[in-house]
Amino acid sequence: MEKTLSKKHFSQWIKSLNSWSVYLPREDEEARWNYVEADGQEVGLDVLQTTLPPKKILFPQREVFLEFAKALEGNHETLEVKEILPEVRPTVILGVRPCEARAAWMLDEVFSGEFRDVYYWKRREQTALVGLACTTPPSEHCFCTSVEGSPHSVEGLDLLLTDLGDRYYVQSLTPKGEKLIAAAKTLFEEPKAEVRKQVKAVQADSKKKIKRHLKDARPIAEKLKGMFDSTLWDDESMSCLRCGICTYLCPSCHCFDISDEVENPSPLRGQRVRTWDTCQFPDFTMHSSGHNPRPDKASRLRQRLLHKFQYFIQVYDKFMCVGCGRCIALCPVGIDIIKVLDKVRENGA
Amino acid sequence: MAKIEDLKEEAKKLLREGKVKYIIGYGAGTNGWPAAPVFIKKPEDVDKLVWDPTCVHNLVRFLVDEKRRKTRQKQPDTRPVGIIVKGCDSRAIVVLLQEKFIERNDVYILGVSCEKTGVVDDAKLSKKLAGKKAKKVEVNAQNRFVVTTEAGEIETAPEELLAERCLECKANFPVIYDLLSGEKTKRPLEKPFGSLEKMESLSPERRWEFWKNQIDKCIRCYACRSACPMCYCDECVVDSINLAVTADTTADEKAQRIHWIQRSAEASENLVYHLVRAMHLAGRCIDCGECERVCPLDIPLRFLNKKLEKEAKELFGYEAGFDADLPALVSCFRDEDPQDFIR
Amino acid sequence: MAEDFEPRIVAFLCKWCSSAGSDLAGVSRMEYPPNVVPIQVMCSGSVSPLYIFSAFNKGADGVLVSGCHPGDCHYIKGNYYARRRLNLVKKLLEYVGLEPQRFRMSWVSAAEGTKYTKIIKDFVKELKPLGPQTKLRRNP
Repeated sequence: MEKTLSKKHFSQWIKSLNSWSVYLPREDEEARWNYVEADGQEVGLDVLQTTLPPKKILFPQREVFLEFAKALEGNHETLEVKEILPEVRPTVILGVRPCEARAAWMLDEVFSGEFRDVYYWKRREQTALVGLACTTPPSEHCFCTSVEGSPHSVEGLDLLLTDLGDRYYVQSLTPKGEKLIAAAKTLFEEPKAEVRKQVKAVQADSKKKIKRHLKDARPIAEKLKGMFDSTLWDDESMSCLRCGICTYLCPSCHCFDISDEVENPSPLRGQRVRTWDTCQFPDFTMHSSGHNPRPDKASRLRQRLLHKFQYFIQVYDKFMCVGCGRCIALCPVGIDIIKVLDKVRENGA
Repeated sequence: MAKIEDLKEEAKKLLREGKVKYIIGYGAGTNGWPAAPVFIKKPEDVDKLVWDPTCVHNLVRFLVDEKRRKTRQKQPDTRPVGIIVKGCDSRAIVVLLQEKFIERNDVYILGVSCEKTGVVDDAKLSKKLAGKKAKKVEVNAQNRFVVTTEAGEIETAPEELLAERCLECKANFPVIYDLLSGEKTKRPLEKPFGSLEKMESLSPERRWEFWKNQIDKCIRCYACRSACPMCYCDECVVDSINLAVTADTTADEKAQRIHWIQRSAEASENLVYHLVRAMHLAGRCIDCGECERVCPLDIPLRFLNKKLEKEAKELFGYEAGFDADLPALVSCFRDEDPQDFIR
Repeated sequence: MAEDFEPRIVAFLCKWCSSAGSDLAGVSRMEYPPNVVPIQVMCSGSVSPLYIFSAFNKGADGVLVSGCHPGDCHYIKGNYYARRRLNLVKKLLEYVGLEPQRFRMSWVSAAEGTKYTKIIKDFVKELKPLGPQTKLRRNP
């Protein structure tokens, strides 16, 4: 279904979504953008790239799996374990960039399959993603077109909005998307004939505006297979601080840690929680025996790049990196994933 | 401003004669932020070194990495490492020497003086450029910043772009060095600890509001800890999962590791993490500002450490990073230490 | 703040002076509020700031650290270190906005049972109007 929505009606539409929890990007005093709950002040989606991607809402930093408690009945100790499934209101996240939605689509794949992650899916099923096509790159480091993405890709989205100046062109892609339109259907209009032409022009133009490119991503992926023992990783990782920012802010990174947080040791009471973890911390691969297969920064940088550009291709035939550029923009020491992969391509040439 | 050419000759000589393993310095960056750390191993690469007001990083963190690397090697290369340091960074080296974490002959210090200016704050620079990209930032003869963008040059007074910590700088040239480039000029200093006045004048409730909002943002990525040269512990006491496990660690030790705070990024846990870190940095933090710079959510961490820096100076007459022979702040005392808070 | 709010105080008492002082108060049948959870430490100088933050984190409404008078420390210098370190802790906690009345340090000798009871009575009186401590408390 295709519609247009005048920007004048945007706030009204948001207000009509009161049976959903609505999130969209907002700027704070430091001029940083982040997804926050709507508060009725929204006027449009003139937004730049957020610091934290929508994965913060789909896959929260902390999630409780179960609660356990021991109780003493006479001489007999019982252990009660209660599963805690997330109670989620229908949620809609607006202003999601196509790359972030593709990343969400990848998270969907990872959390499905033989072991369907019930906690992730309870949230995901209730969440609708409303995309905002990138008429201009939201970050100077965007390179989605180099990793088989696009500034107006629809993968993973329920609705896609394209900014046409005074209005949005709205594409409905799923039944969830249609429900969002139906909540205020009088505000939406049928697209006029020239709208489609405008959209095509905007889409062609947006691809040209992307400033950074990674040449030959697929051949690089192939080449990475033979680079496990290369000394390239030592040189490139020397300035890494193993701060973890690249992975925490990556829309498709999803590694986690599960630990028990004990409220009270006696009588035992606590929760089993899942928290974000990162392969860039030295302890990520620390074994119980004390052996660590990735003890140095070189092996961890290699892991990150191979996971994004090689292993995911082997398993899902997609680049796990969506080209959002956050790791480049926020790395404190300027490690640039595009430059490292350029060196991979030239290695041995 | 100091000239990097003065140091390049020495750097080349050191590498050619094999006197140092490699040199840690600043080079041209890639992600729009002009300088980035570089590691020069060959004499011919010395020309990659730069020195300009965008060299904000504290490279002393890499000395900690070097020490870690050495402990993992069976036959470590015991030659020193060359490092380019600004005044603030050199104080970090002094603290590491004071704590005997490294030895003086583990490092060959190539110092640069900031003379009458300092380094640039990237947020202020972005605001000033309003969308344009900086290609180069230099200091001219009148000690003003000159920013070259694709649309020409912009000249500004230093205060407009200087990092906040430079306005309270206590050491604008290195306090310890083997070779120094630049003049040992005394910089006119704004009130030391002036940045704390506003915070201290607020009521406790308003202060709490401020800190609660900031700490709520924290995602416990531990970037602040990773970037700090003083946070060199193998096992962080407030990180319940990074036990330094070896083949000899017993199951009991692993099971009984104390979890002081939970790993979840709740405000109460985040606050305890930051308070413990601030206490562990009391008398050691030299205000290089890295913690605040690397934080992806712009939490003003310098403000937390600065308070203890001020108390250390005013209550105990103690300043970090100037004298490597001093004992640590919390392992010494004076008879005249104030005790009016004890009742 | 309900009148029936009873503050929970965690008191780190040094074994040789303050803990003995609190014992003297008990043995002499002196009455004082039962709001204190006493934790005996070997010396006030061994109290790490982490214990104090952790006490608040686990829900303490007030924390007291009490040691020997200067010059009387069983380990000669421990209380001097405590005096310096805990001054920093107090300044830091106040700086982030925790009510200054919540953290207290005192010198109580083994003969000062009365002083100990007075300190606890005053502490409870000061804490009652402040209500439960929620700022550093871990939410269950």
